[in-house]
Amino acid sequence: MSDKVTARSDVIVGLILLGLAILFFALSFTLPVRRAGLSPTTFPRFVTIVMALLASGLVVQGVRKQRAFAGEPAHRTPEETDRRRQFAFRFLLLAVLGIGYTQVIRLLGFVVATPLMMAGTMILFDEKKWYRIILVAVISTAVLYGLFRIVFRVPLPRFDLW
Amino acid sequence: MAAVIDAVIFVLTPFHFLFLFIGVAGGIIVGALPGLTGSVGIILLLPFLFYVPPAVALIMLSGMFCGAIYGGSISAILISTPGTPSAAATVLDGYPLAQKGQAGKAIGVATIASTIGGIISVLCLIFIAPQLARFAVRFGPVEYFALMVFGLTVIASVSGASLIKGLLSGFFGLLIATIGMDPVMGYPRFHFGVTNLLLGFPMVSVLIGLFAVSQIFVELEGVGKPQKVFNQSMGRVLPTWKEFKGLLKVIVPSSLLGTFIGIIPGTGGAIASFMAYNEARRFSRHPEEFGTGCLAGIAAPEAANNGTTGGAMVPLLSLGIPGDVVTAVMLGALMVIGVRPGPLLFRQNPEVMNALFVGLMFAQFLILGLGLLSVRIFPKVLKVPVRILFPIILALCFLGAFSLSNSIYDMLVAFVFGLVGYAMRKFGFGTAPVILGVILGPIAEQELGRALIMSHGNWGTLFRSPIAIFFYVISLFSVSYSLKSGLRKRKPRTTG
Repeated sequence: MSDKVTARSDVIVGLILLGLAILFFALSFTLPVRRAGLSPTTFPRFVTIVMALLASGLVVQGVRKQRAFAGEPAHRTPEETDRRRQFAFRFLLLAVLGIGYTQVIRLLGFVVATPLMMAGTMILFDEKKWYRIILVAVISTAVLYGLFRIVFRVPLPRFDLW
Repeated sequence: MAAVIDAVIFVLTPFHFLFLFIGVAGGIIVGALPGLTGSVGIILLLPFLFYVPPAVALIMLSGMFCGAIYGGSISAILISTPGTPSAAATVLDGYPLAQKGQAGKAIGVATIASTIGGIISVLCLIFIAPQLARFAVRFGPVEYFALMVFGLTVIASVSGASLIKGLLSGFFGLLIATIGMDPVMGYPRFHFGVTNLLLGFPMVSVLIGLFAVSQIFVELEGVGKPQKVFNQSMGRVLPTWKEFKGLLKVIVPSSLLGTFIGIIPGTGGAIASFMAYNEARRFSRHPEEFGTGCLAGIAAPEAANNGTTGGAMVPLLSLGIPGDVVTAVMLGALMVIGVRPGPLLFRQNPEVMNALFVGLMFAQFLILGLGLLSVRIFPKVLKVPVRILFPIILALCFLGAFSLSNSIYDMLVAFVFGLVGYAMRKFGFGTAPVILGVILGPIAEQELGRALIMSHGNWGTLFRSPIAIFFYVISLFSVSYSLKSGLRKRKPRTTG
């Protein structure tokens, strides 16, 4: 990332963390307070106050950097832009695939959902040979199933669609 | 003596030795593959740890730790890319020697130096850790709280390029740790009405997500980029007797230096290996040979970084505070399987500790054997395509998260923290400080609560113990040192 982009992201991330600290600090007032000893509120309040201070520091640092790099143009070649766009697409698909897997596995079970998830991930990692995708997805699932279900007796999710 | 013999028998039991072997061999592979570090390796072992006795889990984890540190040198020598940060100094002479057609000898020297470094550090661990633990048995809640404060200052040391971002990561970890039951009163905090959050985020899932799943997204970023091609000839593997005798003068002091640096929390293999490299060059009769494929330039950093393994385990085992990032992850893994490192571990489970010491010693010989016998296999390991490796790792991550409590929710948490971890890495925030916050935060809060209950709410009690004051002072020293070096790093940029 260029310095200019880093400065902008520092400001955004700093504001998000500041918001998080303020939210948790405010929520700590809903917790009970003990007269003597350590209240459930003490530690979270200490953490959120320091976190808010640090996040404010990051925002200030980011704003200063942004001013320093204000005149600089963002250097990005068309190839780089294209590659970043492709990555953003793959990233989004992998995120959907991972979250989808955790939702679908309770219905399809480990044996059906895992090879599908692995095949999808291999495609996103640019594997083009379909026979390799099938082989790796099926064999890895079989090995993991054998090890965890049969040897370690982990009750892996089972097919439960009907 | 009988205890040592029992420990040797325990480790050599075929089933236990198999797990040690898996740990070491897995560690070497994980360390050799760029992108996978010892921390990720330990996380990938998590699903297996639940099904073995604590002593076996401990020797497997330690084997993985030592194996991964050594494994990092293989890719450093063959493709000029250190497999782990601690092998960065090995590139300086390892890669030039490989380019001269002597990759085999470079790996051979790295293997021998790593083994000797490991043995020396394990010996130091055996002698220092029990003494420190014996002293730490006297600690009460006040001293423990002060110790945890010191442990948390390690956040500043593992912050990376930006101290403010590192501290923010650490406090983000502490904030995550406040979700769920408060450790003193057992009152549920910040659960937002979600039943699963009543017990907080499962630590294993957070670990898996931040270290392993986030790495999968990092690797996804590299799809389409050309991979490094290498075709070095291996040549002879072992150095000559004369070369070996000369190298011993570098290996022994580097190992001791590495062990000493490893004991200091927040340092780690990368610092030790560069320091050892510099010292070896400074004391060499031919400093001009360094950087051109000099054997001493490989032996010094490798002996030092493997020396840190035993050193980093001294504070972990005797005090319960991690020495570096890998031991922080190891601490989390141990707590998950019900082993709480600290002085009481030596008193309550001496057989576990003996098994660990003997296991660690055998791990060094396994590194030597596997390293020297597999020299010609390593190039093939490095050619395993990312597009096959990482989908399998993702499946293992999901399984690891699931196995803890057979919960699909834990899998979701691991994946979501993977996304959080990737975002953090992308924006320059380290994930190691988060783990330190998540692990040490609740312990610090619990000990503080205990200290205040015992003193009827008197906060002054925190400053009455000389041991506690000692820890506060070194905590201040640790933070100010990090601040100072942070400012020193920034200076050239602002003036230049």
